Amino acid sequence: MSYARVSSHDKIVFYSLVPPTLFVVLILMTLFLTQLYHSIPIFDVQGLLNTYTVNRWYPTQSPPELWKEPHYGLLPTIWGTIYVSGIAVLLALPLSISLAVFIEELLPRRFRGYMSSLVDLMAGTPTILFGLWGLSFLGPLLKEFFMEPAHEGLGFLPIFSCTPLSGTSILTAGVMLAVMIIPFMVAVIQESYKAIPVTYKEAAWSLGLTRFEYVRLNLSMIVPAIVSAVLLGLGRASSETAAVALVVGNIYALSFCMFSPTHTLTSIIAANFGEVEMYPYMRNALFAGGLFLLTFGMIINAMGIVLLRRIRF
Amino acid sequence: MSKRESKKTYFLRAKMSSIDSRLILGGALVLLVLIGAGIFLLSQPGGSTTTTPVRSPTPTATPTAPATTPTPIITPTPGLTPTPTAAPTTPAASPTPTVLAGGREVKILAAGATFLFPQMDTWAKEFRNKYRNIIIEYSSIGSGAGQARFLEKVVDIGATDPPLTPANLARAKQDPRGVIQMPVVIGAVTIVYNLPMVEGKLKLDGRIIALIYRGEIEKWNDPRIAALNPGAKLPDAPIVAVRRSDASGTTNIFTMFLFKSSEGAWERERVGVQPSWPIDQVAPARARAGRGNEGVAEIVRNTLYSIGYVEYTQAQVARLAMAQVKNAAGRFMDPTPETMMAAAAGAFRFFPANPDDDFNSAWESVVFAPGENSYPITSFSFLLFYKVYPKDKAEVIKEFIRWINTEGQSVMAPGYIPIPEEIRRYNLRWIELIREG
Repeated sequence: MSYARVSSHDKIVFYSLVPPTLFVVLILMTLFLTQLYHSIPIFDVQGLLNTYTVNRWYPTQSPPELWKEPHYGLLPTIWGTIYVSGIAVLLALPLSISLAVFIEELLPRRFRGYMSSLVDLMAGTPTILFGLWGLSFLGPLLKEFFMEPAHEGLGFLPIFSCTPLSGTSILTAGVMLAVMIIPFMVAVIQESYKAIPVTYKEAAWSLGLTRFEYVRLNLSMIVPAIVSAVLLGLGRASSETAAVALVVGNIYALSFCMFSPTHTLTSIIAANFGEVEMYPYMRNALFAGGLFLLTFGMIINAMGIVLLRRIRF
Repeated sequence: MSKRESKKTYFLRAKMSSIDSRLILGGALVLLVLIGAGIFLLSQPGGSTTTTPVRSPTPTATPTAPATTPTPIITPTPGLTPTPTAAPTTPAASPTPTVLAGGREVKILAAGATFLFPQMDTWAKEFRNKYRNIIIEYSSIGSGAGQARFLEKVVDIGATDPPLTPANLARAKQDPRGVIQMPVVIGAVTIVYNLPMVEGKLKLDGRIIALIYRGEIEKWNDPRIAALNPGAKLPDAPIVAVRRSDASGTTNIFTMFLFKSSEGAWERERVGVQPSWPIDQVAPARARAGRGNEGVAEIVRNTLYSIGYVEYTQAQVARLAMAQVKNAAGRFMDPTPETMMAAAAGAFRFFPANPDDDFNSAWESVVFAPGENSYPITSFSFLLFYKVYPKDKAEVIKEFIRWINTEGQSVMAPGYIPIPEEIRRYNLRWIELIREG
């Protein structure tokens, strides 16, 4: 909308929208500044780089003058976050594309609404329910029917090398998160798929394409949407807390094996914040984790949004 | 898409799907209202409108006593001198006031250890049944936060599993309001395991548990475990060591036990509410952590060949197998209320002379305390009181302390163990330290 067309009445309406917008921006800024402000003490004590690159978590009540080496390294939790959400996105992507195409192309029209509503319902389900499901159903199931056979048959691969001992593991968390982010990814992909102009689709049909070729052509038109769905899914998966804390095992360890437990940035914050006052500087270390998560999430989401804007028909 | 879709049907479909989602939304709304109404109706019988019978042994006051009766206020528990050899007064004999604070509504804020929450909740309800105008609100925020809020003086009662840390105690003592630390419930940690093939109870000692949690004992059929359990069918399977992911008083007691009983296998600096665990570096695949006692119990239940430690209450609720643990006298003890009370009674002699002395060494002595019949992983949870309260609150706090150490000890929440007689008497002595101001 160009300003030439804005009347004086409209101006009042538009100016009235400025404070709420500023308010939201302000809140976001304070969110960021809070994390930064509370992180700085730990950076002072053990260094910014050490905080993010050291594989050592040793809560201590002794003052920092006596620290011989950094006590609060976040590296395994950063790795855990990336590993778990990576698995989630890799699994969720083919499933989401399939589901979106299925709803749009194959499902009889009268069922589409129901199916979409069902997917929306999944998105709105409290995440802790997924956590409980992951802990008492998905975990034992995966252990019995995937982890153990995979370890026996393909144990030479580093990702399957450790003996699966429990249902709570990196893999379980990844699969559970995949299920949780599918609705969001489907929504993004489906919306773009729907937005492909009918004329394009008609043209495709008139060329005499098979259904497979037709779908592939359509999908090729919404690649940016698919990439942005991946990024949004990644953002969501890395920020999930309660459900992940239930199934990820919560062990402070850096492991490449999928059957091993780990901590994510969110789960280590959730696990430790309750009694943080018992240990000086642990609080600041957790805020440093929050700062990383916030920055990471902002970058991922920004990339997703920028890519989504690039779709123009 | 078999047919080509015209623009018209395209929009129609969009409209249809929005109607469907509206239907579902409406349905969900109706469901929520129904659930809300159900919860409301269910909460009514147990709510504040009806009075449940007081289970205390001496029902001295009628719960529905009108607030207007101008009964003179009697100081509770007279005749107790603050010397350790004070003559015991039987709880039933002490006169109790029927109206506190002249019938004015008094709200007492308490906050701290999650372990104490069910017990404090029970006490608050029973106390309210006795004195209708007293409301005790407990927020379950954790021991560390409980100590911090107490020092900040934003609560009336603090609650914590370990006693005040030396630094916190120094701060509290400098304050003109002072501090009284009072052990009120026994907390015991049980070793639970998932070994369906083992008949009878598994026997373990501190050193073996420490080595399991270090990652050094890898399998159940390790000769060191077998030596304690002759004849048990121990599987040739890796041990999964389950622990708390959140910082917890339970972990504090457990690691203190490991430190004291393991003959050097567990370092002093690995004792705490959230210590560093050596197994993370050695064999992370054999370690797991769950949030809260429930989380640990759930993982142990779902994981074959696992071992974990949970609060006694939770082990009972979860119906998990509990190991017999070797005590300081060399006997393998079942976790039962009797063995825990025996441990608590045996620990009494370590208590300091004053309630604002450092309890830390006493608390450490309680874990793995001597005594033939003591369950070794036993400890206390503390309430923290000030010595000075505003007028009405002082009166209420005095009566509350008297009550929880007498009648209150017979209204324990399920699974909670009352403190032994000598500790109740010890606690009752501090009532007269509390004054108005």
